[in-house]
Amino acid sequence: MKARALVRLWSIFGEPLWVFVGMGFPVLSSLAFSLLYYSIGAAGYIGFAVLGGVMVSFWGNVLWSMASQFNWDKQEGLFEIYLTSPASISAILIGMSVGGIIGTVPSAVIVTVLGWALFHPAVNASWGGVALTFGLTLASLYAMGMVLSSLYLTYGREAESMNEVLQEPVSMLSGLYFPVLGGSSPFPLALQAVASLIPLTIGMDALRKTLFYGDSVAQVWPDMAALAVMAVVLLILSSYALKFLENLGRKEGTIAVRIR
Amino acid sequence: MSEPQLPAVEVEGLRREFKTKGPPVVALDGVSMKVRQGEVFGVLGPNGAGKTTTIRILSTLLLPTGGWARVMGFDVAKEPEKVRKVINMASGAEKAGYDFISAKRNLWFFSQLYGIPGDVADRRIGELSERLGLTKYLDRKFYALSTGYRQRATIARAFVNDPKVVFLDEPTIGLDVMTARSIRDFLIEEARKNGRTIILASHNMAEVEAICDRVAIVDKGKILTEGSPEDLKRSLGAPALVMEVSPPQAGFEMLAKVPGVKGFTSSIEEERGLSTVQAVVDSDAAARAAEDAVRKAGLKVVASWRKQATLEEVFVALVGRGFKEREEQDVV
Repeated sequence: MKARALVRLWSIFGEPLWVFVGMGFPVLSSLAFSLLYYSIGAAGYIGFAVLGGVMVSFWGNVLWSMASQFNWDKQEGLFEIYLTSPASISAILIGMSVGGIIGTVPSAVIVTVLGWALFHPAVNASWGGVALTFGLTLASLYAMGMVLSSLYLTYGREAESMNEVLQEPVSMLSGLYFPVLGGSSPFPLALQAVASLIPLTIGMDALRKTLFYGDSVAQVWPDMAALAVMAVVLLILSSYALKFLENLGRKEGTIAVRIR
Repeated sequence: MSEPQLPAVEVEGLRREFKTKGPPVVALDGVSMKVRQGEVFGVLGPNGAGKTTTIRILSTLLLPTGGWARVMGFDVAKEPEKVRKVINMASGAEKAGYDFISAKRNLWFFSQLYGIPGDVADRRIGELSERLGLTKYLDRKFYALSTGYRQRATIARAFVNDPKVVFLDEPTIGLDVMTARSIRDFLIEEARKNGRTIILASHNMAEVEAICDRVAIVDKGKILTEGSPEDLKRSLGAPALVMEVSPPQAGFEMLAKVPGVKGFTSSIEEERGLSTVQAVVDSDAAARAAEDAVRKAGLKVVASWRKQATLEEVFVALVGRGFKEREEQDVV
C-alpha cells in the first residue's frame, strides 16, 4: 500500500509541469464561477465556487488517475505483474488513493489561496466539522474511485470515454459549485434523491454547512454517517468486484489482455 | 534413501479453450510435462502454438478448461495465492514499469509487492543490476531507458523476489545481439548457481538451444516432442540438405513425395534471384533423391550442401514445414 502511494507521489512530483498543468482546470473553473457570482451580486456563493474548485481537483484525480488506472496498467502489462504477485489488489488501490490525495493537495491549496486572496469569501467555519467532513468525503469519493477502477477492468480503451461521460454530469449533480440538496436546490426532489447516491453530493453539502454556516459535528452527523457508510460499502463492493473480475478474467482469458 | 525432489512444474492433460463467435479455439490440447527444479526448460513453437497460454496458466493468470498443473506442488487453479509466492514472470512484449519514476524505484516498488524488507530489496536490486549491467542506468526514469536497458530492468524485476520458478515469455524479443546474450548468460547463471527453475517460452530456436537443458516443441496446442536439444537433433539421423535453387519460387511440393524427406522449408531471396530450400532427410540417399526431384521439376540447383541439424529441422521433421510456413498456414 505504502509502496503504491509512493509511486504515485514520485510520479506526480517528479514532473513539476504536471503539477502545474493539473491545477489549470480547478483554478479556472473556480475563478469562472467566482466571477459569475461576483458579477450577478451573489457574493454569498463565491465561497461555494472556491470550495468547488478544491473538490473538483480531487474528483478529477479520482476519475483520471484512479478509475482508469488499472485499465491503463492492464494495457501496459503492469496489471499482470500485480496479479501474479501475492499482493492484495485492494491494498494497491488504497495506496493509489492515498498517493492521489496527497498529490492533489498542491492544486487544492492553490485554488484556496487564490480564491481567498481575490474574493475574500465570507467564512463561518466549525473547523472540527470541516476536517471530519472533508476526511469522510475523500474516503467515500476515493472508495467510489476504487469501485470504478474495478469495473473499468472489463473495458478496453472506452474506459476513457466512460470518464468523459461521468465527469460533467457528476460535477453538476453533486453540486460542486452550487447547492443541490434542500430548499435552495435547482433540482426537483427526485433528481436530488438520485444525486444523493453520489458521495460527493453529500460531502459537498456537509462541507458547505460546516464551512460557511458554522454547523457543528452534532448538526451534520447524518451527513457524516451517510458518508462513512458509503465509504465502507464502496470499499467492500470494490473488494468483491475485484475478486469477481479476477476470477472471471482468469476463466474468460480477458484479464491479461494487453493492447500492443 | 533420500526422497525424490518435488518437480518444479508438473502438468497433466492441460487443456484451454477460448470462446469465440464461431467454434471455440483450442489453444492447449492435452499438454503434459514435468520440469525438474533448477532446470531451464524451453517451450518452443511458432506463434499460436500455445506457448503463452501455457505460461499464463502456470503463472495463475488463466484457468485451464481441462487437466491440471502444479507449481512447486501447488495447484495453479485451486491455490493461486500459494503459487504466486514462489513465482515471478516477465514478457519481452511488456513495458512493465512506471515511466516517470526511475528504474531503481520501479524495481523497489515491485519488490514491495512481495513484502520484501527494504534493506533486503535494496541489496538484491543492487546485485541484480550489477549482474545485468544496469547499475549506471538505475537512476534514469523508465521512459528514458533504451529498449535493451528496459528489458534488463524487466528481467531484474522477474528475479527480485528470489522466486523458485520464473516464467519468461520471449524475453529477448526485439533486442540487439549483445543485450540478448547478456540476458541469456544471466539466465544460465541463475539456474546453475542459484538453482532457479526457468520456463522459457520462445520461438527463437537459437536461444532455446543455447540455454535450455530440455525443450518441448509445441504446435497447435500439443507437445510434439520433448528432450534435450542435443538428443532431439541427434534423433534426425542425417544432416539436413540445403539447396539454392533458380529461378526463385515458393512451392517445392515435389519434395513431399520423395521417400526419406521428412519435411522442408523454403524462402525466396529476391536480390540473389534464387530460393533457398532446407530439407530434413533421413539418409544421404534421400538427400540425393531430393536434389533430383527439384531438377526434374525443371529447376536449377545452383548449390547444395549439408548442415548440422538445428531445432528448426527437428520441428520441420515433425510437422513437415517450418515455423514461418506454419504461421502463414494459420493466417490463411
